[in-house]
Amino acid sequence: MTNYATLLLRNSGFCNTLPFLRCPGVQRVFNAHRDGERVKKSYLAASIVAAVLVVGSLTWVTTQSESAGEKVEELTIYSGRSEEFIAPFFDRWEQESGITLNVRYGDSAELAAQILEEGQNSPADLFLSQDAGSLGAVSVAGLFAELPSSVGQLIESKYIAQDRSWIGVTGRVRVFAYNPEEVRTLPTSITDLTKSIYRGKIGIAPSNASFQAFVTALINEKGEAFAQKWLTDLKENDAKIYLKNSAIVEAIDQGEIDLGLVNHYYLWEVSTALGREIKVKNGYFNSGDIGNLVNVSGAGVLATSTKQKTAQELIKFLTSQSIQELFVKQTHEFSLIPGTRSPQDLPDLKSLGTPLVDLGELVNIQRTQDLLIKVGLL
Amino acid sequence: MKTGSKLNSLGSKALVVLVLILILQPLLYLVIRASEKSGSQIVALLTREKTLEVLGVTLSLLAIVVAVNVVLGTSIAAGLHYVKLPVPRLFMVATILPLAIPSYVFTYTWKALFPSMQGLWAASFILALSTMPYMILTVFIAFQKIDLALIEVGRSLGLSKVAIFFRIILPQVRRSISAGALLSGLYVLSDFGAVSLLNLETLTVSIQNLFKSSYDRGAAAIIGILLFLAAAVFISFETRLKGRDFESRGNEGFQNSIKRVDRNTLSLFTLSVLGAYIICAVVLPFYVLITRFLENPSAVSLSDLISAATATVGVSALGAMMAFALSLPLAFLISQGKGKFTTFSERSILMAHALPGVVVGLALVSFGSRLGGLYQSIYLLAFAYAVLFLAKSVASTSSSLALVPPQLKEVAATLGKSKSKIATEVVFPIALPSMSLGILLVFLTAMKELPATLMLRPTGMDTLATQIWSAASISRFNEAAPYALILVGIAAVPTFILTLPRTGNREEAGNEIEKKVRFL
Repeated sequence: MTNYATLLLRNSGFCNTLPFLRCPGVQRVFNAHRDGERVKKSYLAASIVAAVLVVGSLTWVTTQSESAGEKVEELTIYSGRSEEFIAPFFDRWEQESGITLNVRYGDSAELAAQILEEGQNSPADLFLSQDAGSLGAVSVAGLFAELPSSVGQLIESKYIAQDRSWIGVTGRVRVFAYNPEEVRTLPTSITDLTKSIYRGKIGIAPSNASFQAFVTALINEKGEAFAQKWLTDLKENDAKIYLKNSAIVEAIDQGEIDLGLVNHYYLWEVSTALGREIKVKNGYFNSGDIGNLVNVSGAGVLATSTKQKTAQELIKFLTSQSIQELFVKQTHEFSLIPGTRSPQDLPDLKSLGTPLVDLGELVNIQRTQDLLIKVGLL
Repeated sequence: MKTGSKLNSLGSKALVVLVLILILQPLLYLVIRASEKSGSQIVALLTREKTLEVLGVTLSLLAIVVAVNVVLGTSIAAGLHYVKLPVPRLFMVATILPLAIPSYVFTYTWKALFPSMQGLWAASFILALSTMPYMILTVFIAFQKIDLALIEVGRSLGLSKVAIFFRIILPQVRRSISAGALLSGLYVLSDFGAVSLLNLETLTVSIQNLFKSSYDRGAAAIIGILLFLAAAVFISFETRLKGRDFESRGNEGFQNSIKRVDRNTLSLFTLSVLGAYIICAVVLPFYVLITRFLENPSAVSLSDLISAATATVGVSALGAMMAFALSLPLAFLISQGKGKFTTFSERSILMAHALPGVVVGLALVSFGSRLGGLYQSIYLLAFAYAVLFLAKSVASTSSSLALVPPQLKEVAATLGKSKSKIATEVVFPIALPSMSLGILLVFLTAMKELPATLMLRPTGMDTLATQIWSAASISRFNEAAPYALILVGIAAVPTFILTLPRTGNREEAGNEIEKKVRFL
């Protein structure tokens, strides 16, 4: 009687591939006709590796579900702020609170889009965004819960959404980064950027949320017709398109372009990443120019979250005095608590004459994006 | 008996339909999202200057890369075949090894050396490097099967060497060149990593940008459909270009007595192209990865490396197995012989293959978020890999099943074995080893996948690809290097197996590799 296992072995290609297997009476299917038959090395190797993969991945899958099954208290965060700079803060909170943070890092706008696509089914508890625009997108879709007044008490009220759907965490200024050796005449207003002396020398990142927030503010301040003309002129002035602010700063350092519209802290970010000094400086437009827009990174709690209280605690932590001072020191951002000093080497927000823009207005990015698509920058 | 087999094939057809429904979800998503826009909005979006520009850039990139591949890839394949090389196996492995290197790793290693690289020409260069192996492999096999008798006839008729090449050799390899062009072209159309790192806006980058613009998923979907159509047109164009089949008349035996070219200008040319390719696509990237790694070996903690590597291997293997399981019903039908239904299903799967990872990722975010616990689980990510690479799996599984000699099945049937017994006791065991090769190839491709992985990975889980991506996109090359080395190292295993011929016989080896290449 032949049992199934022997039959399987006999008929399997393994009899042909594994010389050490004893397969009595096997009809060698493929190579029986050839003398000095050679081992089918590739099939042998493929079979072994595939078998290892199957066993390994199944083991791995079981470990995955085990750890998911453990009921530790944890919070799921979608973070548009990069791991590099925010992870130390998260680590500290994990230690203080004993709660595990499950963080999904990504681009703020992409994560906002993902939250919108997920809708009521989003697994996120808290969304931490690089800019007000992405927060606004989620807020307008009604996916944020209203935060109680106990959250973010110290934060200046203009950096909190009017419906309290999100709270600003840190401030960042739009600047023009430039190469001091190449740029003789500094622009004093964004309208200078469409002049021919800067032709082909400016970098922008239109798909980036912070640029879009700036355009939104521009539309609100000066009207859509003005914004459209300015964007068209800028494009006509052969402005170079980049995907990220950091790429603009690198391009200036490489000498590809001479100046670019970015947030102020990319100077440090890029120079830390490259591990050396870069030949790029921050420049500011005239006091009160819309080019000096102050944007915020901020956080909101998803309405669908079942852990509202815990998520609010994390926002309280991020907006506390000591942590705000840490942001100023470590990430070169502005604290949103009135009276806290500015990051090293930076003027304070008041002296920049930052334009009075209601950050709540930055939610209207649909119009901005339509405009950017219309002029062909998106 | 007859009704039984009918039922059986009806059953597998039903299964195939089920698989098709699953696989075509991303396309369904695109149509649903696009239909949110009005007709005039769609027309406005498609006819605006920017869209035309992006389409133009994408098609130029496609044309340049395919043209470079046709010229240089063919030369390299010819070099490998005709020129006497010191250690031919080594050269073979070195030209195939770039398959293990994802395009974004190529980009970042080259950018580490030449930071100002960007734009159309840079992207063409990088993508030509990453897709060349497809061309080399397919054409190399064709050279091995060339009918030598025809060359002798040409010589006796007094044709010059050049004329022989263009009039006798080239027509015989045309089909393979066109197959190589298809493979590399589809790769170019769906590439996201290289083009976005090089700051070149192609259709895939445009889709990603529009998606990021939170409100405009409709516009992203329309561009997605445009990309899909471009791929479909490219596929049908290739089918036409390939033209009539030039069947060699089986004089491959002469190949053994082939005279290797020793030294003349032609072999110098092919050798220098081959050498240049190996330097650009293998030596330099490895040099950069290794020196970057040595500059700061502790840039990344070992535990991070291990967890990313385990996650990558685990989820890619799961995806490969899922693709294999999904491919079985259709592969079974194909191995039974082709009918209208089979051809239709095969084409649909090839069409689904043209959808880039960005689109599949998006669609699965939309549908997947309704699935509760499955969303952002390894299973959904593995399913995304299965959707993306099912075409490869179907090709490999069906040709593995075709390996089983029909006589064996007949013998089993006369011995009174039932159909299911024949399948489990005869067909499957014989086909299994070669099927495992197909599983490995899907595994290899899944490991390198980036855009869908970014969107669908479980929160908090990093794979090698996402780690390389996040480090390289902020210019932290030292941190990307160890991840990239591990990724390339693991991916090299299945790639190496691909080039292992199982016999010493050249002709057999050729057939062998050809079989494997069909899985690509």
